[in-house]
Amino acid sequence: MDTSKDSLERRCPRLGSPVSFRYCMLYGDNSLPCWKIFDCWWEAFDVTTYLKLNLSEDQFNTVVNSKPKPKITSLIELIEQAKKRNS
Amino acid sequence: MQTRKILLSEDEMPRQWYNILADIKMNPPLGPDGKPVNPEALAAVFPMNLIEQEVSTERWIDIPEEVLKVYSIWRPSPLVRALSLEKALDTPAKIYFKNESLSPPGSHKPNTAVPQAYYNKVFGIKKITTETGAGQWGSALSFACAQYGIECKVFMVRISFDQKPYRKSMMAVWGGNCIASPSNETKAGRDALEKDPNTPGSLGIAISEAIEAAISDETGQTRYSLGSVLNHVLMHQTVIGLEAKKQLEKVGEYPDVIIGCAGGGSNFSGLSLPFVYDKLNGKQIDIYPVEPSACPTITRAPFVYDHGDTAGYTPLLPMHSLGHGFVPAPIHAGGLRYHGMAPIVSQLVSEGIMEAKAVTQLEAYKAGIIVARTEGIIPAPETNHALACVIDEAKKAKEEGKEKVILFNWSGHGLLDLAAYDNYFSGKMKDFILTDEEMLKSEEIFANYPKPALLKNR
Repeated sequence: MDTSKDSLERRCPRLGSPVSFRYCMLYGDNSLPCWKIFDCWWEAFDVTTYLKLNLSEDQFNTVVNSKPKPKITSLIELIEQAKKRNS
Repeated sequence: MQTRKILLSEDEMPRQWYNILADIKMNPPLGPDGKPVNPEALAAVFPMNLIEQEVSTERWIDIPEEVLKVYSIWRPSPLVRALSLEKALDTPAKIYFKNESLSPPGSHKPNTAVPQAYYNKVFGIKKITTETGAGQWGSALSFACAQYGIECKVFMVRISFDQKPYRKSMMAVWGGNCIASPSNETKAGRDALEKDPNTPGSLGIAISEAIEAAISDETGQTRYSLGSVLNHVLMHQTVIGLEAKKQLEKVGEYPDVIIGCAGGGSNFSGLSLPFVYDKLNGKQIDIYPVEPSACPTITRAPFVYDHGDTAGYTPLLPMHSLGHGFVPAPIHAGGLRYHGMAPIVSQLVSEGIMEAKAVTQLEAYKAGIIVARTEGIIPAPETNHALACVIDEAKKAKEEGKEKVILFNWSGHGLLDLAAYDNYFSGKMKDFILTDEEMLKSEEIFANYPKPALLKNR
């Protein structure tokens, strides 16, 4: 894994505070990069090529095609998951 | 002396919120099974009175007296004529903004936090849970809960919890219990910590924790609260635009252009939806939600002949391009990607009632500095995106020689975001810093393509 970009920083529009590129790479859903990684980092370097080189093809395609579910849908999923955890 | 602030008395505060669902058609939200959601499915996390608002198609919803009382702590917010900015830009445009940075937590967020806390209280709820990133929403909800004597528990993403101690302190002052997520208080948190004890957390985990904390209270007296995206949240925010309308009427003005930064869409909707109502009824207004740029622009891209598609089927066209293979199709789709955006805003953009605008982070901060040095208030980083668009529109008005009225929402102050300004001043924030090696690599694709002439007509 190329770590040369790890320490680059920018403001995360979701959190509202600074994060490193490494954070964006590691803390999306299912330990994959965040779904906003392309939108957030294209201004800094060729993030697309970087991800192609550092992820498997399946992982890359998952990130490229991922988008958050509509809020209501994800809330209902989270409610169901929380109920299961509590049962 | 020219009047700078247009004020309303507390008696003139709007008595109803505007619900745009009375005037537009929306596809119903779908559940994980692909079928329309039954509102009852949300009852585990929201009180029924808020669920009723979420699905209501009544055009006007009364603002309860108890909510107005709390609103009156900072509302009506002033409508400010940006006279110094106008002068600095030497524009004929009249620029007005709603100053939402004056609320106790410093943003527009309490416009919905207060009614949400109130409706929970009326429903018999004793405790509200939520998640927060950098703490803007968590502090707004802590403030609101304090007003109604409700307990507030905020799961703050660990990375921000460590970086933003003052937001945590604000919550504590208002009685909010802010804990770092992942925490040991929920199974979702414990699972995440077991996997990685040093994890900086994520919004996904924090939301899971807040929801779990709400539904695991067997007394049924805990609910969850969300500060953006949902219909009732946007409706509560319309108090901004409804006030702005009254204030503009006082000076005999009506906006030609409305601008707001659009992350989840709540502050932008709050200002614009009451004017969308006018637009739906024939008024001519340009309405611009502004987000960070999502795809490469011409910043450093070479001017070359390139295909407009990734497969290379379309004819070669002269353009600034990083190569048709540079960005995969879903990302290169252009314009704003409305991931995470309020469905109402997405719908209005897709219908052409609003037109999405995008600015780079550097443009945004540059604009924020210009406005801070003229109007005095240090803007929240997200507000800077709106400001970049405001400056563009003001310059356009100058070029066209038009005395346009521009209205925008100053969604919050940036007094707890000064590290971001430091990064801007230190030059850490840059647009498109491809290394030469990377540039060469992306340009290799053009090696055998003809080069267009750089023609100039003047």
